[in-house]
Amino acid sequence: MEFLRILTKTSLFLAIFLLVSFAVPNANAADKENCLMCHKYRQIGRIDEKGIKRSYYVNENIYANTTHRNVPCRDCHTYINRLPHDPVTEEVNCSNECHIKPPFSKENFSHRKIIKIFNKSVHGIKKGDSEELKAAKPYCKYCHLNPVYRTVAEERIAPTALNRCLNCHERKGVTAAYKHITHRLRRKTSRSPQEIVQLCSKNCHADIEKMEKFKVSKESLEAVETYNESIHGKSVALGSQEAADCVSCHASSAIHDIYKKDDKTSTINIENRTKICKECHDDINERFVQIDVHPKIEDDPILHFVTMNLTVAFYGTVFGLLGLALIETVGRKKDGIKWQIRRGTTWRGRSKHWLKKYGD
Amino acid sequence: MPGEPKRLEHPKSVYIIGFIFIIITLTVVIAAAYQITFSPHGPAVLVPIQKKIAESRRSAILDEVRKQEEFEKHRHFHNVVEYPQLPENMRPVCYICHSDSPHSKNKKVRAMLNMHTQFFVCETCHIEKKKGASVVYKWYNPFDENPEGPFFGTSYDPETGNLKEVNDQFSKIAPYFKTDGRLESAIRIQDSDLARDYINVRDRLTPEQRDNVKKKFHVHIKPKGHECKACHIRKSILDFKKLGFASNRAIDIEQLNIKGMITKYEKFYIPNLFK
Repeated sequence: MEFLRILTKTSLFLAIFLLVSFAVPNANAADKENCLMCHKYRQIGRIDEKGIKRSYYVNENIYANTTHRNVPCRDCHTYINRLPHDPVTEEVNCSNECHIKPPFSKENFSHRKIIKIFNKSVHGIKKGDSEELKAAKPYCKYCHLNPVYRTVAEERIAPTALNRCLNCHERKGVTAAYKHITHRLRRKTSRSPQEIVQLCSKNCHADIEKMEKFKVSKESLEAVETYNESIHGKSVALGSQEAADCVSCHASSAIHDIYKKDDKTSTINIENRTKICKECHDDINERFVQIDVHPKIEDDPILHFVTMNLTVAFYGTVFGLLGLALIETVGRKKDGIKWQIRRGTTWRGRSKHWLKKYGD
Repeated sequence: MPGEPKRLEHPKSVYIIGFIFIIITLTVVIAAAYQITFSPHGPAVLVPIQKKIAESRRSAILDEVRKQEEFEKHRHFHNVVEYPQLPENMRPVCYICHSDSPHSKNKKVRAMLNMHTQFFVCETCHIEKKKGASVVYKWYNPFDENPEGPFFGTSYDPETGNLKEVNDQFSKIAPYFKTDGRLESAIRIQDSDLARDYINVRDRLTPEQRDNVKKKFHVHIKPKGHECKACHIRKSILDFKKLGFASNRAIDIEQLNIKGMITKYEKFYIPNLFK
């Protein structure tokens, strides 16, 4: 009887599970267990006990265009093992091994390697860190949302090159591979310098109160302010896509290997600085790398003097010209010349001196 | 002077040059003014005043809420997309007190119930029958008296298998009272007389008076909404085909197994299949 009961129950569960799996067409290959049957609706969520709105929505069209598009849901959400699942209390562990094998590799994919680099860096949690510092330090999702592909338009590849791929592969597959590769190929990071600066500043390095709490050095405390005043910061603020952002100097191509400058492994350590500067500046020498990239103008008398002179020269030129035009205008008006902008000319009439000299 | 050309007889090019010069001058003046007052690249003389005003208007609650929202966005990870919101006065009166996620008691189904607010107004589930009137359901759009769709969730994209993306972001299924062939909306929006009056005076009401007025908003509202099987069944109270659902989508909704899992199997687990 017990066996029959278990058999009936298991068959019933299996039948319902299969029905759930095939009730609607699968959104994409990754959603093998049809989690999107519920999670594709944008209002799925709740206000939690702390009053925070928790959204459980996954936009299926956006998900299909992200770097994780082939990763099955439960490769990350490993704690889900029954359906319907209980309220989730665990967080995703990004160092989990995925059940997908990248091309040219026999091993399952994992972020473990980059997490190891991150953990060693200044942002990784260390043994002696206080609880408050641990809570304040960034973690994977602190900086990363599910990365949406940013690609160079496919049309830019020579059609002949693309056609060669199509000799063996399907267009769909070629497009997917193209997106995945070009997302990473354009710059050191797929984000713009503006986004990087915003990411490092907002809620972290620009939060002076927070930084003071952790007793960072004066240089670190003023890092955002001094960067914004630097040539790099100003160029980025004005929209440059080439100027250096935080990651350009503070990390190698591993992106997450950020260390204090006294650390020998730091990209900004004086020993390594030439290498990192050379990523943008071709012809540099030892003196070049000694230039202060985060200058605090008020603290440096020479810099202060030069900046003041340049400011005076700038405002002197602009307001000098405007002032001269104003004095000229007042002078002419005083002489009795009318200002008639409406009739297509600026000045009309004769000055008092002209009238005195030549009469009416 | 006799014979001297009149001052207004300029060639046209002079007017064009003059116009360009004025534009350049104005641009330089505006840029210089911005440079001095607000630009982060200049002395920003007015920024301290701007900060002072912002500081005086600062709300600790608002700061905290925004911080939490930002935090939640990253905790969620799956790119939250902003959708257009109805202006406050066009929302149903329910939103004076409740949000888009009003269900919180039943742990098992609260998120699922909240999910339905994308498709329904509150009254669609919580409507109380009215004597002498039947209840019929129609798509309701505050911007369009007779919305024709296509509505979200009514059909699949044959190419991707996902639900078809639509332009209409506001239409929801809403109940109407039908009396002698005449339809009367069963929902009340915040622009109605009663709602506007309440919003104006609510700060002046005592808690008891406020409770009293709130009762007026709940006249045809029942606290417990329809059961899942009221809609997710072949003989649904919603006529999906009439509401414009594609036949395969209607069948999927009617035969949706999630309601079976929730209502029939109190402890529905698939213990080993995933392992």
